[in-house]
Amino acid sequence: MKQECYKKVERMTASMRIIHWANAIFMIVAIVTGLYIGEPYYQTLIAGPAVHKYVMAWNRLGHFIAAVIFDVTSIIVVYLYFFSRFEKSYKKLIPSADNLHEFAEVFLNLITLNRKKSFDSSHSDSFNTVYFTIFHLLLIFMLFTGLQLYVHGLESGLSSIGSWWPWMLHFATDWTIPATGGNLMTVRIAHHVTMWLIIAWIVFHIYYQIWRTIFWQEGDLAIVVGGSKFAKEQK
Amino acid sequence: MGKDTMESVKKLFTTQSSKVDTNRGEAYYADLYNSCRKRLDELKALPPINNKLDLQAALFDEGIDRRDFLKWASATTAMLMLPASFTPLVADAVQVMNRIPVIWIELSDCAGNSEALLRSDGPKIDEIVLDIISLEFHETLQAAAGHQAEKQLEDAIATFKGKYILFVEGAVPLGMDGQYGTIGAKAETFKDHLIRLSSDAAAVIAVGSCATFGGIPAAAPNPTGAVGVMNVVSGKPIINIPACPANPANMVGVVLHYVLTGKLPELDSLLRPKFAFGYRIHDNCERRAHFDAGEYVEEWGDSGAKNNFCLYKMGCKGPMTFNNCSLIRYNEAVNWPVGVGRGCIGCSEPDFWDKYAYERPMANANIKAPSGGVEKTADEFGLVLLTATGIGIGIHAVASAIAGKKNSEKDAE
Ligand code: SF4
Ligand code: SF4
Repeated sequence: MKQECYKKVERMTASMRIIHWANAIFMIVAIVTGLYIGEPYYQTLIAGPAVHKYVMAWNRLGHFIAAVIFDVTSIIVVYLYFFSRFEKSYKKLIPSADNLHEFAEVFLNLITLNRKKSFDSSHSDSFNTVYFTIFHLLLIFMLFTGLQLYVHGLESGLSSIGSWWPWMLHFATDWTIPATGGNLMTVRIAHHVTMWLIIAWIVFHIYYQIWRTIFWQEGDLAIVVGGSKFAKEQK
Repeated sequence: MGKDTMESVKKLFTTQSSKVDTNRGEAYYADLYNSCRKRLDELKALPPINNKLDLQAALFDEGIDRRDFLKWASATTAMLMLPASFTPLVADAVQVMNRIPVIWIELSDCAGNSEALLRSDGPKIDEIVLDIISLEFHETLQAAAGHQAEKQLEDAIATFKGKYILFVEGAVPLGMDGQYGTIGAKAETFKDHLIRLSSDAAAVIAVGSCATFGGIPAAAPNPTGAVGVMNVVSGKPIINIPACPANPANMVGVVLHYVLTGKLPELDSLLRPKFAFGYRIHDNCERRAHFDAGEYVEEWGDSGAKNNFCLYKMGCKGPMTFNNCSLIRYNEAVNWPVGVGRGCIGCSEPDFWDKYAYERPMANANIKAPSGGVEKTADEFGLVLLTATGIGIGIHAVASAIAGKKNSEKDAE
């Protein structure tokens, strides 16, 4: 057997890991409550008049809280794309020759089932960065369409925090109506279908990280727990 | 970037919201009051056009007394979002509505909006008020037919050039050069007919979902290429009063507003009067408490239905529909769709037949794929996507495991 030596590489700071797990937990909250809002899949079995139970209302509250948390983490993530201590992600998105080459190599590694692995796996590669960026774009689309659906209920132009809020929501999200097909329902359909895209994204994401850990033998899964992984020393 | 693209981008970012401004301050209303008073006095001095119907007598004949009439006037004032001090003005304006000539045409439609005016259980104030407008031409209602009718139309256009209000009921078929709908002995297409009549009108009012957004004639696959009035007429003030049928109260509201102020009411981005379409069904629905509580009718006639539970799971589209039927209801506030126990089908929204009226929650509905043809429910689509992902992952995982095993065997050798 070959002799291999490993070096430890820092990949995620504590705050990045917190963001990751906050996103993960609240994505589950958003999906569970969102499916209920789309079509209430369990019945309220509490006896007594409607004033004492708020099943749909609690679901909506949970959904909106999750949305607000995504708002905040998204802003931080956008910031990190440009100012992160590690590889600034935006650099991996520029379609330069290096990045395209790396993207192709990582993709080949995946489809040749790890037979071919000729790229530096100690840092975040451009294939993964593109994949994460797709997630963030889906999430941002969800935020805009979701806020558009939300502002329908503030039609008086007032809200508990002032009239600037509905105004701002209209200003920022009214474009989603023409962009999704022209009416309020198409916004809702787009919001719902995008949820399925995100679920599919998550499934592959989890699989791919586990796959890397098993086949690369570099402890990739540890990145999101302890913040670092081990890369084989290039000799 | 071409000019068209620029325009559409600009439009994208300046779409008006449906926000309703219900209080514009004392000074604004004082001004408005005076100008309305002046306008009404001017109108009163004019002779009634053709319709000599005396409103008071007509109301009395139907057993409606002055008190009922004033109640109606104050409710209508509130509906138009004017302060209560305008009530006497509204009551006055009704009396002079026969000074405004109206021409009513029908295109691709079922005459349902005309029916809505005529077939109430007994004419109520809204319907009687519409009786006193000076209806110069209405294909379905008038006695004249054939050449006589055409002559009547020409006369009306000539006499009231630039002054009449054109009510349009029904969509405009544009397919095959408009040949799907023609009118009169000369086979004038609906499109030409509409353009000719609107060019001499003071304003065009599209009533019903077909005239506003194409409605049912424009439902997929829209064989006749039907569109709404606003896609055909340009350069004229257009008001859309959608819904299927449009609520007579809203038609009266718009005409009254015009008589009273000489102006059209404030409109939203879909050209609908904000006083009627500024609020969402769902927020003024009597079943809303059950929605928040999570109490839904699960199937027709179940115990939830008997307890007036929310109709969301039966496909109610109140949460995405802007209209005032949950407030003013139909047939002089007798009832409205959700009130009788069936969900809203979003009849006042664009594309309602394809996107709203499937009577089940959206997640369960057959939605046209953008490519056309295949219909999939949103959730089926999601499950197919997930299954595909799962199968892909499964194959990849098994293949990787086998490949990995071979590798380690090789290493061990
Ligand atoms: S019945 Fe329809 S409009 Fe009324 S609360 Fe339920 S979903 Fe909303
Ligand atoms: S409840 Fe909905 S479908 Fe029924 S009339 Fe009102 S807007 Fe139209």
